[in-house]
Amino acid sequence: MPLEQDELWYKRAIIYQVHVRTFYDSNGDGVGDFQGLDQKLDYLVELGINTIWLMPFFPSPLRDDGYDIADYNSVHSSYGTLEDFRKFLGSAHKHQIRVIIEMVLNHTSDQHPWFQQSRSSQENPRRDWYVWSNTDTGYHEAGINFVDTELSNWAWDPVSKSYYWHRFFSHQPDLNYDNPAVREEMWNVMKFWLELGVDGFRLDAVPYLVEREGTKCENLPETHAIIKELRRKLDEQFPGKMLLAEANQWPAELRPYFADGNEFHMAFHFPLMPRMFMGVKLEDRKPITEILQQTPEIPPSCQWCLFLRNHDELTLEMLTNMERDYMNDSYAEDKAMRLNLGIRRRLAPLLDNDRRRIELMNGMLMSLPGTPSVYYGDEIGMGDNIKLGDRNGVRTPMQWSGGWNGGFSDADREKLYAPLIQDPVYGSPAVNVFSQKKTQHSLLNWMGRLIAVRKTTGAFGSGSMEFLYPANHRILAYVRRLGDETILVVNNLSNAAQAVELDLRRYKGNILIEMFGKNIFPRVGELPYLLTLGPYSFYWFRLRRI
Amino acid sequence: MTEAKLAEESSLSDDFLGQLISVGEVDILVGVPTHNNAKTIGPIVETIQASLLTFFPRERIAIINADGGSRDGTSGLVVNAAIGDTRSGSKMYALRTLHSISTQYASTPAGGMALRTILAAAELLRAKACVVISPESTQMTTDWLAALLRPIYAEQFDLVLPTYRRHRFDGILLTNLVYPMTRAVYGLRIREPYALEFSFSGRLGSQFLAQNPWLEETARAGSEIQFTLAAIAGGYRICQSFLGAREHVERRSADLVPALRQTVGALFSSLEPNFSLWSPKTGSQPIPTTGAEQEFTLEPLRINRKRLRDMFSTGVAELESVFRAILSAPTLAELQRIAGLDEAHFRYSEELWVKTVYEFAVAYHKSVISQDHIIQALAPLFRGRAFTFLMENRNGSANDVGNNIEGLCLEFERMKPYLLEMWSGRQ
Repeated sequence: MPLEQDELWYKRAIIYQVHVRTFYDSNGDGVGDFQGLDQKLDYLVELGINTIWLMPFFPSPLRDDGYDIADYNSVHSSYGTLEDFRKFLGSAHKHQIRVIIEMVLNHTSDQHPWFQQSRSSQENPRRDWYVWSNTDTGYHEAGINFVDTELSNWAWDPVSKSYYWHRFFSHQPDLNYDNPAVREEMWNVMKFWLELGVDGFRLDAVPYLVEREGTKCENLPETHAIIKELRRKLDEQFPGKMLLAEANQWPAELRPYFADGNEFHMAFHFPLMPRMFMGVKLEDRKPITEILQQTPEIPPSCQWCLFLRNHDELTLEMLTNMERDYMNDSYAEDKAMRLNLGIRRRLAPLLDNDRRRIELMNGMLMSLPGTPSVYYGDEIGMGDNIKLGDRNGVRTPMQWSGGWNGGFSDADREKLYAPLIQDPVYGSPAVNVFSQKKTQHSLLNWMGRLIAVRKTTGAFGSGSMEFLYPANHRILAYVRRLGDETILVVNNLSNAAQAVELDLRRYKGNILIEMFGKNIFPRVGELPYLLTLGPYSFYWFRLRRI
Repeated sequence: MTEAKLAEESSLSDDFLGQLISVGEVDILVGVPTHNNAKTIGPIVETIQASLLTFFPRERIAIINADGGSRDGTSGLVVNAAIGDTRSGSKMYALRTLHSISTQYASTPAGGMALRTILAAAELLRAKACVVISPESTQMTTDWLAALLRPIYAEQFDLVLPTYRRHRFDGILLTNLVYPMTRAVYGLRIREPYALEFSFSGRLGSQFLAQNPWLEETARAGSEIQFTLAAIAGGYRICQSFLGAREHVERRSADLVPALRQTVGALFSSLEPNFSLWSPKTGSQPIPTTGAEQEFTLEPLRINRKRLRDMFSTGVAELESVFRAILSAPTLAELQRIAGLDEAHFRYSEELWVKTVYEFAVAYHKSVISQDHIIQALAPLFRGRAFTFLMENRNGSANDVGNNIEGLCLEFERMKPYLLEMWSGRQ
């Protein structure tokens, strides 16, 4: 069955972020692969997923988990072949699952042939494909992203005896987007995958494409012009495909990436995510409502992408120093949990494995304005391993069962690309898909119900947003509306039961139908609507005038 | 106090209760009792807010204004200090909602009721630490709250009382009676037992709320000193924090009797129920103090000393029959003698003053006449003692003033057996 035709499919998407390496190993070599991913599509369908976001799977020295690409038009041999990818993609589409892939535009691996040629001599035709300099003093106002490992954005290349620019690791030289040949070649790369049938791209590190002296080298007009050009080509040649921006910026700086609906279709809402954690820890809605109040309107065809966790550290860049300190002290008491300006932990351990808080956070993820993205394994409450370096602690093998290698691989244990989580709380014997499938009230089954209920209304994906401001600041309440559908969401951010009076007079005469149990609540009248909520509980109500 | 009892006796309005429900649990509660303080309250609340956001940015905090029927918009000025997600009364950034709510506990001011309202709010909100700030403390700095709250919050003290840099002639009632007598009787060197700014732990607040006979009008006066005395009697951990300068406030002559009721009346009232606690104590002990125990400023101050002495002499003559009921014959005779002296020779000695105070305390205890009349009768005698204090310290250095106060304290301590003998009726 072909994919349903829907220009705005990304507004109705439930995204599942996964690295092919981590998901399922079909050939017993200890590394997940496309055939394995293909075999697990039924699982994702059952969960309610309709979009997969694949992390980089291209040939790479894997010094940054594949974000250091050495060949854009192929598949890393550990994960299979291009044909395997093609089969997987076809299979996903048959399952009504769209696939978006990672596209690292900003930089390549230093092993990429382009860079090898570029560094080989000053006269090489690809010399100008990267950003070279005889000194390391240029663009000094640009910040360093990986402060724990990099001292400068310039690195000395002993081969060509000059410095090259890198906004990330020094083994990831930045491409020179002032060079039309680079722009053309990167579009060719995107076209290659679009012709194979991918449904969109998550464009990595987009704010950094262009460098200009005297600026922070972020969010420059020239960068926006490049994205507009890519979008124009995309719309002309591949209508219905989607671009998702990774731009860790403040809302006002993010807004230009939507332009007039002619740059990105979607962008991650980075500042919201840590504030959701902060709100729950503070038991106060203020951080969440404040950031959403500051979030500008976006064109109707555009969409925010929301997430709780992803493959990176829980970034605290979009916080004030006071907020960052609070988050570190609250969620990363052990300094080993901290990395760069973030916290390298998974959702369940961050929330002390508290089922109520995990549910509340997912409830907000699924009901706040935007498209939710679920990080693989968080649907079963997988743990992390902070003893592994960099961000590898949140990239361990998916735990399918309590058996050998957690059901991830038949390989000898030492062959696994990364060790399984082994602690008694989060290890595969305790946390796995197999056992949670069999338990009606498991987190996995609850997540499936949550997603199913979300899908019963378009209001969550496309509806308007209106905050209610009850006097009780521990209650985060909002109304989502789309057409004649009205959904009331009430979240208790506190670990104690709460009473709240909601001003629902404008909905007078409606009855409230709780969307999970479909129970009827009293009709809305003139008086404040009184609700009581248990610790960390939430309600989704459909308002009906019957 | 059980929650049921609290609800039963509650004078909290439904509206206030609703606001407390919305506040929920707090770590710190700042109580601000007010009555027509619009002229000063704005900057004070701003200072409170700045202090909280600087020193306690992560704590759950509520500012509770207990208002005694202001008609000048005081309450609105406090409420506007709230920082929430719909509006902010501050340019400073707050990590979380900072509540600022107001309630009118009565249509006329009553300090005890204001404190009770604050204590009730603290109990309902399960505050770990509470601080009470006077609406007249215009010289308050952001450090005050930190100095008052940290010992509660970080060092598990139950009551933190202030010490100030005062003018040498500010608080003569405090330095000549309340402090030395409290010190001698209870054995603790608490400089400001009747404090306008103080902080306390949630457990002490709850204890006081439960024990104090709030419904008795007399018990409501001087509740601040009762609070200190309750902390002493309950064996709670007490300390002092130096806050800095406290401005001299000009008091009208007519303010003296209410001040005596609130301080000396409360002190005298505390003696009977706590007799077993204080009677065996001799001497006094210092209590932990952060910063200076006392500091004096010496700038010139106009005080009508002649009027003080005249009021003393007139009082001794007019109230002779009352004094006969209160004072011993030798004490009265000595008072009558000095009342006849001219200004140059007049001196109300420390020993005579201590005897006077102790005899008044015993008369109060034995209710020889109406207790309120006893307190009122102390007013002219206090003026006489104040005159002597002013004369003796008019050219003194800060050290001299401190030494003189210390000398008086030691006299109170030395003569404590005299109090005990009279108390048990042997004299």
